[in-house]
Amino acid sequence: MIRSLLAWLDDRTGYAGFLHEALYERVPGGARWRYVWGSTLVFTFSMQMITGFFLWTAYSPSATTAWESVYYIENVMTFGSVVRGLHHFTAQLMIVLMAIHLVQVIIDGAYKAPREVNFWLGLVLLQIVLGLSLTGYLLPWDQKGYYATQVSTKIMGNAPLIGQQAQELIQGGPQYGHHTLTRFFALHAGLLPASLIAFLGLHLYVFRRHGLTVKDPNHAPETTFWPDQVLKDGIACLAVLLLVLGLAIWKGAELSAPANPSENYAAARPEWYFLFLFRFLKFEFVEHYGLAFGSIYVPGALMAVVAAMPLIGRHVIGHKFNVAFMWSLTLGIGVLTLMAFYEDAGDEDHQAAIQEAHRDAERIKELASGPNRIPVTGAVTLLREDPFTQGPRLFAKHCKGCHRYDGHDGRGRLIYSGAADGSLVRAEATAADLGQFGTAAWMQAVVVDYSKHFAPLKNSEWFKNASGEDVLNPDESEMADWSGDAESLGSEENQENVSALVAFLVSQAGHNTRSGQAVTGDKSVVDRGRTLAVEGDWSGAINGTSCVDCHSTIGESFAAVPDDDSDGYPNLSGYGSSAWLKSFLSKPSAGQHYGEKNQMPGYAKRMTPSEMELLVRWLTGDYVVTKLNPYPFRSMPPVRSVSTE
Amino acid sequence: MLDESPQSPETPESVSLEDAVEVRECDTEASVADADAVDASEESVSKSETARRAFLTQVLAGTIGVVVGLVPVLSGLIFFLDPLIRGERQSGDSRDAVGKDAEGYIKLPVTRSLLPSDGTPQQVTVEDDLVDAWNKFPGVPIGSVWLLRSESDEVSAFSTVCPHLGCAVEFRGAQSDFYCPCHLSTFRLDGSKDNPIPPRDMDSLRVKPDTGEEIWVQFKSFRGGISEKVEI
Repeated sequence: MIRSLLAWLDDRTGYAGFLHEALYERVPGGARWRYVWGSTLVFTFSMQMITGFFLWTAYSPSATTAWESVYYIENVMTFGSVVRGLHHFTAQLMIVLMAIHLVQVIIDGAYKAPREVNFWLGLVLLQIVLGLSLTGYLLPWDQKGYYATQVSTKIMGNAPLIGQQAQELIQGGPQYGHHTLTRFFALHAGLLPASLIAFLGLHLYVFRRHGLTVKDPNHAPETTFWPDQVLKDGIACLAVLLLVLGLAIWKGAELSAPANPSENYAAARPEWYFLFLFRFLKFEFVEHYGLAFGSIYVPGALMAVVAAMPLIGRHVIGHKFNVAFMWSLTLGIGVLTLMAFYEDAGDEDHQAAIQEAHRDAERIKELASGPNRIPVTGAVTLLREDPFTQGPRLFAKHCKGCHRYDGHDGRGRLIYSGAADGSLVRAEATAADLGQFGTAAWMQAVVVDYSKHFAPLKNSEWFKNASGEDVLNPDESEMADWSGDAESLGSEENQENVSALVAFLVSQAGHNTRSGQAVTGDKSVVDRGRTLAVEGDWSGAINGTSCVDCHSTIGESFAAVPDDDSDGYPNLSGYGSSAWLKSFLSKPSAGQHYGEKNQMPGYAKRMTPSEMELLVRWLTGDYVVTKLNPYPFRSMPPVRSVSTE
Repeated sequence: MLDESPQSPETPESVSLEDAVEVRECDTEASVADADAVDASEESVSKSETARRAFLTQVLAGTIGVVVGLVPVLSGLIFFLDPLIRGERQSGDSRDAVGKDAEGYIKLPVTRSLLPSDGTPQQVTVEDDLVDAWNKFPGVPIGSVWLLRSESDEVSAFSTVCPHLGCAVEFRGAQSDFYCPCHLSTFRLDGSKDNPIPPRDMDSLRVKPDTGEEIWVQFKSFRGGISEKVEI
């Protein structure tokens, strides 16, 4: 029954002959592992077609939905990370397999007559696959793809004659936007795969026409493609599959933070297989001849030599030259790639940038998975309006000149200044470290260790130049005397009192903990602290001295006191709270803050109200709960420094 | 030269990779039978050994081929079935919108006394949080309902979606009935069908009792084209 049906079908289509042709290709010298590379490439391409189609069903190409849809695929949809991971890693492996295939062809001299045309068809396929990589890299519209692709299109813009026009055409305008994505996507899922299928068809047709390039016909008895060679090919494909499946499941395709043109992405690098070109462009002599030289003419010339190999190979020493050229090229690419990796590994700034990129990528996942999901303006607004993300950047921009945050600049980088001998030394802070601002540790330090806590002020120029003037002095002030009273404040009997006062001050600041809970503390302890602050019920010599004696408004909720109503002591109502902090940052020289002794610039006009809001919310822990660690203190010395302190 | 390939090109059954698993059994029987018949006298041991090896090669090659093909296809299919697997609703669970209670009643932007007392239907927009994949739109119009106030001050509500094939049902003042412009379904003002085109009466929606001037409605969607009212 089935046989007669198949016979009928064969009669109408001739499929049996075709299959026979496909399966019983002669393999002189027996099946060999060296023939598997072409098949693995066909397999990886099929894999890309399949996974690519399914990703297509969920991908949305526009500047406000591309990242969002990829986020949704990766983190929410069933098996999304597997399908995307397969697509992502197979794409990279395809480049490797193609390089191996090319090397194999050159070594075996498979480009020689009559196979020249097929060699050229292969080179066309190589270009198409590189085009697929380049267009695919942008589609997630994350910081990594965005900035790396910017470089590629800028290189295109530097091409002679029509560079500018070509760049605008592929971008869909002078800048990146919705149409960059629609165009890249049309190329990536339309034109390029269609061309790949067409050229692959030609490549296979011509390959079959001339047959395998057999290295050694006497290696083993002649066999046929099916099943002997198919088995070897199948095993190779299985190995490829297991590799990418493993990577997809255990490593996962990266998705960095959503593209943000206003946020520098210092961690920008091309995909690893383009790193050699990236490194090559950084040589001074290459830069000297201009971008077009290094990125277009040199690679173009190298490709031209490869394309000319069938012609060069006609001569006796031609093939030897080709093989030597191929190995030197491979060696050069390998060395440049390793150099790029090695240099990046030792570059503190780059490593910090990578760490920050990872932090942003993790943070946006926390924000996007919240109950409000992603606003229509795109995920990038979630990060822009997130204090946990923007606070450190604002601190590094505005505050690190004097302050530190856990010893660093807010973003985990140490601060250096140039020394006379040209080396770098750690720059000393000239104001308090704000890493613990408003916490119990901070309040404790202000109360019992005032002089030491504000000691960095003494590093400042204004302090060193102050000769007998009335400036803020951490060592000599009423507060320093009170705080430094070791016999009384530091005595055994007052330990519980100090803790109570600290608990009270912490409750006044009202910061959130990292789990998003407001810091409240034990009510009876806080009340006891309030009594101490207002009535001064201490043991020992400081008994009767209360905070309220000087800081008359302590314990009240913050309300800005008119400047002419100030009494010369900082207004500590709601000390450390966001209302207090905003007032202080806006005008530290106000009478209610440091008055005439103030040295800190006011920030009311130095940052926008929304920036100040973000900075204050970060400093007071007012943001969506996070599981991420704060920026670590980076103790790694910079490689370029001759000596550190 | 030794003929090492019993699966010679002349084998009648042409084998495609996909069919390999299915076809290989009869295939092997045939080739083993061939081998037995022809070569029974000479070197039968070594021949059957060769046939066994070739068979194993085919089984292995076919199986591996199927596996490497199936993994991406199956992963993709599971991914494609995501809407059925996760079954996420576009709205419904969320209660963030102002005016939605635990039973899913939504407060409408109209009051009882604003509805015509002569029973003329009034179309009212329903607002709720709309969840669409990665986006959430808080408090946006998600549809509308027909409201009618009876002489006894009872308010009834109907979905504006035609139970036939989902066009929007309109009110015709002249005929004083509901009418669907797509396939000409008509309904009386109590929602009952007036011609044989629609499979069922208009879908009535629950109105929350005892809310005074406010009107709260359970906004739902139902499958079209069938005679039963089945919630989606």
